[in-house]
Amino acid sequence: MLKQYRATLTFIAIVVFLISVGYAWLGPVRATSAVLSGLTLAALYFLLGAGLSLIFGLMDVLNFAHGIIFMIGAYIGYSLFGNPRLFTNTLPLILMVVAGALVGVYIGRPLRAWEARRRQLPADAPPLRIILSRIAPSVLLALLAVGLLFWGTRGFPLNRLIAFEPTATGGAVPTAQAQEPLSHMAVRLVGMMVAGLLLGPVLVREKRLEARGPFWKTLVVSLILSAVAAIVLWTRDPAERFMLGLSVDVRFVLALLAGAATGALLGVFIETVFIRSFYGRPVTQLVLTLGLMFIGVELVRAIWGKEGRPPMAVPSLFAESCRSPNLIAWLSERCSSIDVLGRAFPTYRLFIILIGLVILIGVWILLRYTRLGMIVRAGVQDSAMVEALGINVRRVFTLVFALGSALAALGGVVAAPFVGVYPDMGGAFQLQAFIAVVIGGMGSYIGTAVGAIILGLARAFGDVLVTGGIPLPWTEQVLRASPAIARASTVLIMAIVLLVRPAGIFGQKE
Amino acid sequence: MKTLITRLPLALGKWKWELAVLAVLVLFPFAAGLTIGKPDALPPEVRGLERLARLTETGPAKFWQGMVIQMLILAVFAISYDLLLGYTGLLSFGHAMFYGTGGYVIGILLKHFHWPWWAALGMVVLVAVLQSLIFGTLSLRVRGVYLAMVTLAFAEFFYILSEAGDFRQYTGADDGLHGIYVHPAISPTDYRLRFYFLTLAFFVVAYLAARRLVNSPTGRVMVAIRENEQRAAMLGYNTFTYKLVALIAAGLLASLAGCFNAVYNLGVTPAVLGVGTTIDVLAMTIVGGVGTMTGPVLGAAIVHLLGYWLNRLFGPIWTLLFGAAFVLIVVFLPYGIVGTVRARSFQWRTGWRRWMQLLGLRRETPVR
Repeated sequence: MLKQYRATLTFIAIVVFLISVGYAWLGPVRATSAVLSGLTLAALYFLLGAGLSLIFGLMDVLNFAHGIIFMIGAYIGYSLFGNPRLFTNTLPLILMVVAGALVGVYIGRPLRAWEARRRQLPADAPPLRIILSRIAPSVLLALLAVGLLFWGTRGFPLNRLIAFEPTATGGAVPTAQAQEPLSHMAVRLVGMMVAGLLLGPVLVREKRLEARGPFWKTLVVSLILSAVAAIVLWTRDPAERFMLGLSVDVRFVLALLAGAATGALLGVFIETVFIRSFYGRPVTQLVLTLGLMFIGVELVRAIWGKEGRPPMAVPSLFAESCRSPNLIAWLSERCSSIDVLGRAFPTYRLFIILIGLVILIGVWILLRYTRLGMIVRAGVQDSAMVEALGINVRRVFTLVFALGSALAALGGVVAAPFVGVYPDMGGAFQLQAFIAVVIGGMGSYIGTAVGAIILGLARAFGDVLVTGGIPLPWTEQVLRASPAIARASTVLIMAIVLLVRPAGIFGQKE
Repeated sequence: MKTLITRLPLALGKWKWELAVLAVLVLFPFAAGLTIGKPDALPPEVRGLERLARLTETGPAKFWQGMVIQMLILAVFAISYDLLLGYTGLLSFGHAMFYGTGGYVIGILLKHFHWPWWAALGMVVLVAVLQSLIFGTLSLRVRGVYLAMVTLAFAEFFYILSEAGDFRQYTGADDGLHGIYVHPAISPTDYRLRFYFLTLAFFVVAYLAARRLVNSPTGRVMVAIRENEQRAAMLGYNTFTYKLVALIAAGLLASLAGCFNAVYNLGVTPAVLGVGTTIDVLAMTIVGGVGTMTGPVLGAAIVHLLGYWLNRLFGPIWTLLFGAAFVLIVVFLPYGIVGTVRARSFQWRTGWRRWMQLLGLRRETPVR
């Protein structure tokens, strides 16, 4: 009986301990707002950690680029919210590359098949022939494509598009012309399409050389994509006016959706290109995702600049600058803060907690009561067995990867009005999510939630204590430090957990 | 004495590649001074050997000496990482921690506490051993993916500490620690040739020490742990202790390398502790060849040059391109240069023989 509920009891004991220490030290008023702050952080850590933990549980892969997805989601949402012009100008280019690549993959298959045949040389062939057989035409095409990509984007006014002060923080609607004339953009579109076509053969998988489906289907999809690109470009001015004319709430929801969708796409991209190809080589997978983490930060720095942005504007429900006495009054007054035992607490943070709860319950229902959830849970237990039962586990992997990444990106957009966006946010939040996952136990969904709550509470109390000053015993001095120290000290919590229970509270023993 | 003389050619033959590289490295500053140095910068009355030595401190010769100094330091760093990843099979993402901490310790002691250099160096060793002991006892409790994650978290801990404003008077916070006092006799700015040979000596000692460790019985157990930890444990080895030994050795070497790096640059910045440094050392080890002694050295030279050229050609965007290059290297060169050469050398040799035979230069039948 006791053994069965040991993990749950440990969790409750830790939380009760943290909260009672906090109350004893700070008094009920400050402690209550610290608890609420802690739950806010916990919700964000959970959104990041859930994906990490699910992906790890299912396929034993730890995605070090998860924090980057969180950050890119935040940046995409932020930009869509305040600066739609960036998208109306860049989206067509990306769509054209994809449209070209779709056709390119189809045409590239015979080429790759020919290459694969040619590479089968005897082991003692002359060195020159070996070298020559390696220099495949598709590699040359790829180089040409990369060159064309560079040439096609040369001089693209990305900096002006970005620097365009966005309305994300409630600023004025932009009037200056930062975009290129349509004729230039049309030339770029063609360049991107050709680059995609040339890139196609490289994207063909050697194991899947036979074409699937008739050619006209691919062609139609590609044409539709190109048409969408052209329409987006053609209507970029009215579209921007329309977007900025929408209410803040609608734009916020759009930002959430766009962030989550970007996250899911990025997740699918990372899974298919970097994870699936290296199945069975865990070190390579880890090193690759670490490299992606590095690239992601540098990419965001190169595109959006090294400096962060101030917090995004909040939806109208949290916008009025006043203080509501209670929750019901808040719904009608739409105040930015609410009265908690005589202290003001920002209402937007309550919204973050709500989002965290909704996702927690939603994913739990998905895992518990749907067929997909059943497969996932079975896959966590024994994925080889599930595969033997005739279920395409690989497809489930991709789906879960996309889901986890979408959750992370969603968390990023939700966090943007709370902490703003900055290039280090991915690393900072990922570190805390790692620690939460280690505390809770890798691969356990409930464990992640528990770890996030413990860590969030510890962080919140730590912040209050460290910045408020801890009186040292037996001396008159007060230990005071910056929030950075509080952030770093969570690593010590992880160290303690590793010493006491290396597998985490809810983790199974190795 | 007699045995020494008779054995000398044998020893020379065994070490011929190492000795050749060493000779090149010893002669490099003088060759650079003679070819790309600026003789006009020197007064004409300086003659003979003194002129040769002063020539190495002029113009591009001095710059390229600096490049080689950095390569040697990075080579030691990469060797230390290879002791973990290549020989013991521990994937640590926190190796930048040792490198940066070594730099910060010696920088703070020399700049703010005015310790003599030998005491500061002793302190670096002490701190490195203590740090790797604590780090090892905590993080070696977990394996594989967990280890990578936990080590990354520990490294981030030190990164945050180095950036925190609380210790600004010592670490300089996000500006970094600058203006380390170095004894003028070995100052890397005024007497770069001396510093060059100091670094070279450090590199040689570190290389020999790492080689000795790898070839010792302890090193064999480390390799056994890499291959199959459970089997090593079954044979009666306390694998935790051996992993800890590997970690301490690696941490010590990395700390000393970081200490040289700080002295050479006369400063340390938080970026040295960041994840970028770990990426660098991973790239070096992988490019050269994981699990070899010469690989990391080669990799350090190549990666450092690659970074330099990318920076020259593309400006501030080079870090992004370096990251892309890193990913491509991991994908397309998983065994590194040395590893690939070793795997293919037989194939290449037989291929070469066939060529010779085809051209009529050799008559023997190829090995099948």
